[in-house]
Amino acid sequence: MDKKQKILNLLKRRILILDGATGTELQRQGMPSGVCPEVWCLENPAAIEDIHRAYQKAGADIIYTCAFGANRLKLGQYGFTNVKEINKQLVVLARRALGNRALIAGDISSTGHFVEPFGDLMFEEAVDIFKEQIRGLLAGGVDLFVIETMMDIQEARAALIAVKEITDHFTMVTMTYETNGYTLSGTDPVTALITLQSLGADAVGCNCSTGPEAMVKFIAAMKPHATVPLVAKPNAGMPRLSGKTTVYDMDPREFASWGKKLAAAGVNLIGGCCGTTPAHIAALKRASGRAPALAPVRKSISAVSSARAFKIFDEESPLLIIGERINPTGKKALQQELLDGKLNIVRQMARDQEAQGAALLDVNVGVHKIDELDTVKKVIRLLSTGTALPLVIDSPNMETIKAALRIYPGRALINSISGEKQKLKKLLPVAAKYGAMFILLPVTDNEIPETAARRKGIIRDIFRAARRFGFSKDDVVVDGLVMTVAANPGAVIETLKAIAWSANSFKCRTVLGLSNVSFGMPERKWMNTAFLAMTQAAGLTMAIANPADRELMKVKMAGDVFLQKDRDALSYIRHCSEHAKTDAAVAPAVKSSPDQDVSGAILEGNRDNIINLVDIALAAGMSPSGLVDDIMIPAINRAGELFDQRKYFLPQLIASAEAMKAALARVEPRLKREEGDRPGKGVIILATVKGDIHDIGKNIISLMLKNHGYTIIDLGKDVPAKAVIDSIRRSKPDVVGLSALMTTTMVNMEEVIGLARAGGYSCPFIAGGAVVTKAYAASIGAAYAKDGVEAVRVVEQLIKSFSKGRISK
Amino acid sequence: MAPVLFFESISIPVPRKNIYRRLGFVKGVTDIPAAQQEEIERYIGHASSLIHLKGAGLRMPITEIKDARILLPDGAEFESRQLARLLANCSEIVLMGATAGREIMDAIEKDATGANVTRAIVLDAAASEIVDASLDWIMDYFNQSLRRENRKLLGKRYSAGYGDLFLETQKAMYRLLQLDRIGIEITESSILIPEKSVTAITGIKAQGS
Repeated sequence: MDKKQKILNLLKRRILILDGATGTELQRQGMPSGVCPEVWCLENPAAIEDIHRAYQKAGADIIYTCAFGANRLKLGQYGFTNVKEINKQLVVLARRALGNRALIAGDISSTGHFVEPFGDLMFEEAVDIFKEQIRGLLAGGVDLFVIETMMDIQEARAALIAVKEITDHFTMVTMTYETNGYTLSGTDPVTALITLQSLGADAVGCNCSTGPEAMVKFIAAMKPHATVPLVAKPNAGMPRLSGKTTVYDMDPREFASWGKKLAAAGVNLIGGCCGTTPAHIAALKRASGRAPALAPVRKSISAVSSARAFKIFDEESPLLIIGERINPTGKKALQQELLDGKLNIVRQMARDQEAQGAALLDVNVGVHKIDELDTVKKVIRLLSTGTALPLVIDSPNMETIKAALRIYPGRALINSISGEKQKLKKLLPVAAKYGAMFILLPVTDNEIPETAARRKGIIRDIFRAARRFGFSKDDVVVDGLVMTVAANPGAVIETLKAIAWSANSFKCRTVLGLSNVSFGMPERKWMNTAFLAMTQAAGLTMAIANPADRELMKVKMAGDVFLQKDRDALSYIRHCSEHAKTDAAVAPAVKSSPDQDVSGAILEGNRDNIINLVDIALAAGMSPSGLVDDIMIPAINRAGELFDQRKYFLPQLIASAEAMKAALARVEPRLKREEGDRPGKGVIILATVKGDIHDIGKNIISLMLKNHGYTIIDLGKDVPAKAVIDSIRRSKPDVVGLSALMTTTMVNMEEVIGLARAGGYSCPFIAGGAVVTKAYAASIGAAYAKDGVEAVRVVEQLIKSFSKGRISK
Repeated sequence: MAPVLFFESISIPVPRKNIYRRLGFVKGVTDIPAAQQEEIERYIGHASSLIHLKGAGLRMPITEIKDARILLPDGAEFESRQLARLLANCSEIVLMGATAGREIMDAIEKDATGANVTRAIVLDAAASEIVDASLDWIMDYFNQSLRRENRKLLGKRYSAGYGDLFLETQKAMYRLLQLDRIGIEITESSILIPEKSVTAITGIKAQGS
């Protein structure tokens, strides 16, 4: 019996006990800080051998080698390069201490770098680094591997792929989750489980970062979806300082009391991480060593994942939409972008489809003469970080699919594997290696079957071939095949039959690309929507469609209610009430006069409706000047008061100001006709000073002052002092406003004012910006305003105090 | 000395409370009608989709702290009495930098010139808070690694331009962190471009102290 089978057999019988912390125990044995722990162990073998033996005697079935950081990058930081030998010798030490009294796990952990697309370490380089370590551990004679304390799911994948490409040893992978239930990169335990178990991990779980209480929740969340045993290695609570020593707050007894709860949640391998000692492990063994081991509840799972989310395809799930937009067929702009190596449209399409309710994203980058391998890698990297939605890898090119699956940090769905002999032969092993699900397309080299009866035969044949690679029906999504109804009036009936048979008799998930059905017909969206509803009733699991099609999405949601896939119609009702809320927001609640409506719209910052309301008020007989002076200006002043009282915050004030601006622009032509040009309240020059690029604050001041009748000359940002002086000479302003955000650029305000005074210009200055204070402004001879509302008041006072005549040279 | 670590894509929850606070929201005082709340939330979501957080981190030993000067191995030094006090019991520091990327700045600039100033200020506040929160993430990352050494970062961090740490310090931090590798430039006046880019420094101390 090989070692892997032996471990699997043991796991069927009982919960296996893992060792506890090594790092804190080494410190207790005298390891100084700042040294390389792996090399210190080799130089002080008695220390690590004692620790290994103590854990074995405490009852641990599996002991981790002290090779946590024994990879090329970590060892390199201490100047060590003999990676293979160091790893080998660490195993030799463990074996010398333990003999065959415990299983020895080759311990692999992070390189300290995030792996692409999350960091700067290239994926293949990461795989290579781990392979080097694995070869050393194998040379030493490990019984199994553990990949532990991983924060980055992509690095965990790289390490697991490295193991699997070298050996068939039993391999556990444990990620480290914060108390919020996510890794630092945003992966939750179920997402990691789906990704890692499909990729070939023999056990999956969590270690470090939290104590056992949080881990009970993580294990409980994973158990219903686990096809493999689950692992927990919690810390002994949280660290705190006792005198000059750091201690963890759980003693062995308290720590062990969580063992039964972890067992009840479904853990199969349990040990300790930071702060635990042989005493903790002995207590844990006593408390949970005899607890019944809960075997994985399922043998397979129909689910996909991204780096940050998962999607389970169960029978109760609503119909899922696979967003179809990232496909260059018929999209010239996208084709050109992909050819140019740009991805802006792809990013936008992903964002839009996610917001529109897609559950997965189809990704196809096939363009004539494109480097498809390079392009698909770029797109996968972009989408792995740019969307939480799992991806559907769509290509007729086998190498493209292979390249995408290797770097995709999740479990993907392949679109598709057909009965074509070459595809079956080459793609099934690739799909199996990376644990991907696949869309089964029932066509062969010689046939695109027109009838459901023929499709059934091909579906069975392809699945038979897939089963030899370990696939189950949970891993397969059958494409019902859509033919265009314009060419074959019976096409839809055959597709419906194929879907119903696949869902109800063959018991597989199903998918359709909807839009083919209406090709060549007018008003295609109605045909597509009707087709969706019919196939949904026949048992369709997912449809490849455009989620921007609102009718289609609404019909889908209604269909989910009818098929009892939207419990208590909650999603449908929420969707409808959200729309109703938006509608209510634009409709006036009570009947009010047109001038009240204008006032209300300014106060509410209603920029969408303000022009219409101004027109109504004017049509109702209000004079333009009356509307401005008696309604609009009091309304914007009121918004300023509310802002001063902090009843409004900045977005509300600015929305009011923008509504006012739009209203003024609408009234102005009529105002001119009524009373000619109104005398302006003054001319204000605004500038962000030289060296500074921050100008949003200055733009807010500009908006506020314009609304109060001032003429603004905005010189922009990074404005040299001389340009401000030239503008003063030309425009003879009533006030000059200067803005700066940084301490290094603030000083340039003084230069502007100095130059102005030296040139004989006495115009008042007002200064503002994040680092500017009233005292600083005063020190350079400027007034000060803390925000836009105050700026309006200060400018008004400044103009009262200074006459224009004094400004001219 | 450890190499600079680069984080090509930092994923963090949107720090909503901080964004609202930055925009002047006061709990129990500021009253936001549902329609405006929905609009602001939409803009925060938009900001989040335009921000591509990248970061860099560097752990390095302190050669010496002399009066108000923190001397580093390659000759770089930071001058700040407050920072020197903060790092008094540390033998190592962590430098960190992060950027929200160019796309969000393009959107802010376009909106701020008059297209939609309301959206511009929400995007601006969201970008500032999100990039700041990414430094929390980088600190969490270092704390994860330090845990096994029984050490952790100080709870506080310092940024150039604040207190008595001159903004010009940012030039040394830019160089040490190789921030050009994550698309950040620095101007003569030590301003980072894209605008929503930040750097900070903190110390490493014993766990629990």
